[in-house]
Order: sequence, then C-alpha cells, then structure tokens
Amino acid sequence: MKKVSLLALGAGFLASLAFAPEPVLAQDSTLDIVKNRGMLRCQLGTPAPGFYSLSDDGKWSGFDVENCRAVSAAIFGDPDKIEYQSVTSAVRFTAMANGESDVLSRTTTWTLFRDTQLGLDFTTVNFYDGQGFMVTNELGVKGAMDLAGATVCVLTGTTTELNLTDYSRTNDLGMEPVVFEDSNVRDSTFFSGGCDAITNDKSSLASTRAKAPDQSIFTILPETISKEPLGPVVRQNDSQWNDIVMWSLFAMINAEELGLNSGNVDEMKANSTNPEVRRMLGVEGDLNKGLGLEPEWAYNIVKTVGNYAENYERHMGAKTVMNIPRAGSVNDLWTKGGLMYSPPFR
Amino acid sequence: MTDATQSDTAFRPKPSLPPPANTVGVVGWMRKNLFGGPVDTVLTLLGVYLLYVILDFVVDYGIVNAIWTADSYRECLDINKGEGACWAGIGVWFNSMMYGRYPDEEQWRINFGGIVLLLWLIPFWLPKVSGKIQVGISAVLTFPFLAASLFIGGDIGIFLHAMTAIALTLFVSVWLNVATCYLMGKSLPAVLISVTGFADKDDRLHKYVLLGAFGVGFVLALLYHLSWDLVEVPTTIWGGLFLTLVISGIGISSALPSGILLALGRRSKMPVIRVFCTAFIELFRSVPLITILFMAVTMMPLFLPVEFNPPKLAMVIVAVCIFAAAYMAETVRGGLQAVNKGQYEAAQAMGLNFWKMMALIVMPQALKLMIPNIVGSFMGLMKDTTLVSIIGLYDILLMGKAAGQNPTWLGFHTEPLLFTATIFFVLCFAMSKYSQHLERTIGGGYGRR
Repeated sequence: MKKVSLLALGAGFLASLAFAPEPVLAQDSTLDIVKNRGMLRCQLGTPAPGFYSLSDDGKWSGFDVENCRAVSAAIFGDPDKIEYQSVTSAVRFTAMANGESDVLSRTTTWTLFRDTQLGLDFTTVNFYDGQGFMVTNELGVKGAMDLAGATVCVLTGTTTELNLTDYSRTNDLGMEPVVFEDSNVRDSTFFSGGCDAITNDKSSLASTRAKAPDQSIFTILPETISKEPLGPVVRQNDSQWNDIVMWSLFAMINAEELGLNSGNVDEMKANSTNPEVRRMLGVEGDLNKGLGLEPEWAYNIVKTVGNYAENYERHMGAKTVMNIPRAGSVNDLWTKGGLMYSPPFR
Repeated sequence: MTDATQSDTAFRPKPSLPPPANTVGVVGWMRKNLFGGPVDTVLTLLGVYLLYVILDFVVDYGIVNAIWTADSYRECLDINKGEGACWAGIGVWFNSMMYGRYPDEEQWRINFGGIVLLLWLIPFWLPKVSGKIQVGISAVLTFPFLAASLFIGGDIGIFLHAMTAIALTLFVSVWLNVATCYLMGKSLPAVLISVTGFADKDDRLHKYVLLGAFGVGFVLALLYHLSWDLVEVPTTIWGGLFLTLVISGIGISSALPSGILLALGRRSKMPVIRVFCTAFIELFRSVPLITILFMAVTMMPLFLPVEFNPPKLAMVIVAVCIFAAAYMAETVRGGLQAVNKGQYEAAQAMGLNFWKMMALIVMPQALKLMIPNIVGSFMGLMKDTTLVSIIGLYDILLMGKAAGQNPTWLGFHTEPLLFTATIFFVLCFAMSKYSQHLERTIGGGYGRR
C-alpha cells in the first residue's frame, strides 16, 4: 500500500513538473473566464485608508475598489459581482501571474521595470501620488529646502527611504533618516516629537495626519519629490481585457468631463443631443463591439459607480478624513489644469 | 504561683510562651519574606514602586481615561487625547474580529456549530458514560463534515449530505447513550438489543440490530438534512477568531494521529516506509511554517492547471496539518524512546502483535510522558496560525489591524492588539491548565514533578 502511494506521489510530482514549463495563462481570454465564473476577482492590498479598507460589516470600500466595481458594472451591469482578494504586497505580482486575480487595483506605482519584466501590463493612471514631507507648524518650515539637517521618520526597505536619501544628497540637505519597520510606531514617534519631519506618499501623509490627536498642528509641505502614478494592472498579452479595464476608468473620467454623474445619467441618456454622450451611453453607434461588452456598459458604470469626481469626493475629498484637495492638483481634469484625461469616445 | 501550692516534687513544665510578636502574623511574614535584610528591603521597595508605576499606567489607560461609547476613533481622541484606551472600538469591531467578513445574518451557523461540538464533547467528562473512545472518534471523524456543510452551505453535493447525516446520527446517538447510561444504567447498544428482545440471541444478530437502528437514524437524518437550505458563504470571506479556530482546530486534531503514524513509520524496520517518513519529517521540520504557507498558497497554483484552483483556505489547512504532523512525529518518537525496552520485549513475549503492543502497552506509557510536550506544540501551533495573516487570510490579528485602517477608525491599533493578546492568553492558558489536569489524572504513578 505504502509503496504504491509513494509511486503515485512520485508520478504526480513528475507530472506536475512536466506541466510547469508550459505557460500558465489560459487559452481562454480573461473576459471569458470572468463571464463564466460570474465573478470578477479583484486584488486589493492589506487595508490602506482611502484606497481600500474594510468596514465593520465586512465590506470593502475605497478609491481603488471603485475601479473594480466599474469593471464589474461594465461586464455584468452589477458593480458588486466581485470576489475581493486582499494580498500582501510581497506576493501581489505572483498572485497575478498564477491567475489567482483578474485585475490588480491597489496603490501600485507604474514603473518601466514592473510594466516590462513581470508579465504585467499597466492600464492607466487613476491617481497621481508623490512623496512629500509633513512637519509640525511650530517648526516654522515653509518648504522642503528648509529641512537641512532635520531628522525624518521613514519606513525602512521602501522606495520612500531611497527617494529620501537621493533627495537629500542632490540638494545637499544632510537629512538624517530615522527608520521604522511599522507604520503605527513611525506615526506615534512623529506625533510625540521623535523626528522633525515625516516622509511618505502624500496620500499616506494625509491618513497619518488624520490619526493625530490634534490634526491642525501639522502641515504637508508643497514639494513632491517622487512620481508615483498609481493604477490598475492586468496580465500581459490580453489586449481585450486590458482595454476593458482601461476604458472602464476612462468612462469615469470622460463622464466627469461630459458632466455625467450617477444622478443625471438616466436623464442624459434619454434626452441628450450631444453625440459623444449618446455614443458613450450606447444610445447610438457600436463602440461596445471591440470590448466584447453590452452597449450600455459605460452607462452602467456611471449609473452604479459614478464619475471620477464622485469617487474622489467619496473617498479622498474634503468630507472624508483623508481631506486631499483636488482642485488645481494633478488629479484634477485636464480642462482644469490637472492630468486626468480620457481619449475620446469615438 | 500555682506551682507553689502544689506538690514540689513533681516537675511541671511551664506553659510555653507565645512566639515573639514580630515573628507571627502579617508583620512576621513581612519581616521574614520582604524585609529580611538591607538587600531584601531595597528590592521590596523597588518592586512596590515598579508595581505602582505599572498599575497606575494600566488603570489610567485602561479604566480611568478609557472611552466606552463612541462612533469613531476621532471621537475618542477628542475626549482623552489618546491618553486612554478606546474600548468603544472593540464593541464596534467585535463581530468582525470574531467572525471576519462572515455575513451578520449567517453568523448563527458558526455559533450553532460551536455549540454542537461542545455538546458532542461533554460526554467525555461525564463519569458514568460508557464508550468514551467511540465518542471521541465519532467527533473527530465526522464533525468536520457537519461543520463544512454548516459553515459553507449552498449546494454541497450528495457526499457531504451523506456524511453530515452520519454525523447527525452519531451526535444524536451519543446523547441517547448519555441518557440511557444515566437513566437505565446501560449503554445505548445494550438498551437497543434488550428492547428488540434479541438479548439472548447470538452476537451476529446484535450487530444487525445495531446496524438497522443506525440505518433508520441515518435515513431520518438525511431526510432532515436535505431540508436544510443554507446560503453559500465562500471560505474567502471567513475570518476572525473563527478562522483561527478552524485552522488550529483541524491542525491540532489531525496532528496527533498523523504524528503517531509518522513516528512509528520512522522507527519501522521496513525501509520504504522508514525512508518516506524520515524524509517527510525532515523536509517539513527544516522549513519555517511561513515558507510552507507561501509554497502552498502562492507557488502551488503555478504548478497546477488553471481550472484546478482549490480554495486558499484548503491549501493553508493542508500546509498547517503537514507542518504540525512533522513536529508531532518527533515529539511522539521521543516518547516512544523513553519507554523501557523491557516493555516492548514483555509485550512480544506475551504474544501481542505489533499494533496490539503499541496500542495496549507502549503508547499509553509514551503518551503519558509526552503530555507537556504535546500541549506545548498545540499551543505553539495555535499561535503560529496568526502567520496566515501574511498570506492575506483575515484571522483575528489581521482583522484587528484592518480595523485601524478604516477611515472612521484611523489610528485604532493598540486596542485590537490588546484584545487579541487577551484572547490568545485565555485560550492558551486554558489549554495549559487542562494539560496539568490531564497529567494529574492519567499521569498516575508518575505525577507532576
């Protein structure tokens, strides 16, 4: 008995090795797989305030969650046909490569290396982040150049730490990094005056500030010392799927530009004479064909998820704890001086 | 005085004086134990000061400045400026930390499953009940199926239906057995046989009677169970203490049997079995648990066909079971080696075969010796399950961390950790106390040294 099972085990192991070199990617397109499953598998990270976090009744919400909801609405007409996967950042790309997740939508910076060497494709940017500094007001610092010789709280082993030393070296500021393993410890050290400044992506600085016992005594300095374009990622070599995710985002941005939102989209669909609105909402033309979706895909996104501005206000805006102003920032529409730009729906 | 009035010739001892006042009572105890000399005095004062500082902080943080009702962490901060705990958050997040993302309206299923398991195990501690081994084996072998069909729900397939029906039948018969043992002084099988009037017939007939009774129970249970209509709750949204208990419960209950088999295999004289068991044990013992978890959850899918995508939780449970079995095997082997060789020889001299020798002579002695080690690995395993948070399963620890990242509860991170620590302390301390109790009761001649 035991011998037989040992043989079987060995054979099984050899068989699995034989299968391994073949590409893991399915022959079916991701869209077919998702449609057959009836669920979109959306990869998020461990909770990050504003972008994706768990509520006490077990629901995921956040700015990056809306990307997945938009894709789900585009495919199924229902924004909640999603199986959320919360994966640590160490294995996020592996979980894409092994087919576990259909789309990765979690504060992941678009870099040349990641786009070309990990078997992944970045679709487009939904949030332009960048590293900055936060200080206490009483320090009297107006800009990062005043931070010469300052001690700076930073997480160790991150690109944030590398950016900090680069910035300090190029500008000859002689900043002294104080490194931490745990963000909660870093934050409480900063609050209790353990370092002069704290550095991180500006969105994270906003959430750090929101934790402070007294928020009004901290200022985020204007300088941005790194580029962190964040956006959803898909597996390489599936253009159709890439297009679906990318254009789901564009649909939200374009909706804002065209003045469509979840409140008025029904009325606009019925009455609008603007040809681009009519094309986008599927009233005329057949823009949906190439995507392999229903004609009303973009209408469903705007109706059930909303446009870009609505999502931003819901998760990052002045009414939330994040309180990251949008007007005039890079995340504003291109018509208002920002970088949010959708190719035309034509 | 009184002596003088009595006879002077007889020696009468004076009544002994009471001990000096400063050597008895509280004062005496303190002089002896706390202020025995200058060094003792200094150490005592230092200790009292330390105790004061710690207690002062604990009381201030945990009680005096603590907030018990609030809707957000900001509300707590506005009142106590972070000087005290915000226990209100534990109230808000309690369900999440217990059940993870399991839907609120379905959580009764977990409670119900837990109660069934407890009830199933109670006869274990009832003195008059017979057939305790059968009770234990029935629970270990069939409860997991009942639990699976209860916790997962949905369309569970005929196999799981049948296994659940068997589990239900066994559960009911365990309690019928308790009833007959207490009310009639006989075990359930004995009662069944005497009721049917076959008591004086031969054993084969008795077996048919029992099988028939079980069959009737099984059909009733199956019909009853087919009427269950539970919403499917995928394992991906399980979490909290529930998930911790599922993983460690299965790991713990599978560790001992598989560990015993592996240990016996390693000491076997048959080369294939010995090599296989040794390789298995050494392979999994030389790798940290987190590596095995990563292999199972992240690397395995790379080797498997895309259509074959087992749930993450199943992979994790298998990984934990393998890991626990490898460690348990070495513990058991240690116990086996501690049993005197004369015991083996005596058993063989009596003509017992291998399995009887092990079951009747060696294992009872070895297991007794191993209790502290076994419970030690169980507790270690239970605490190790928090590693699943690294691969993205929302056990109680990760759920607590997630609470502090919710925009409304931003900064709420110390309290969930304290709460989690308390729960782990209670669970592990209970295990430890129970193991001491076991050592006292079945440790018999050895005692606790």
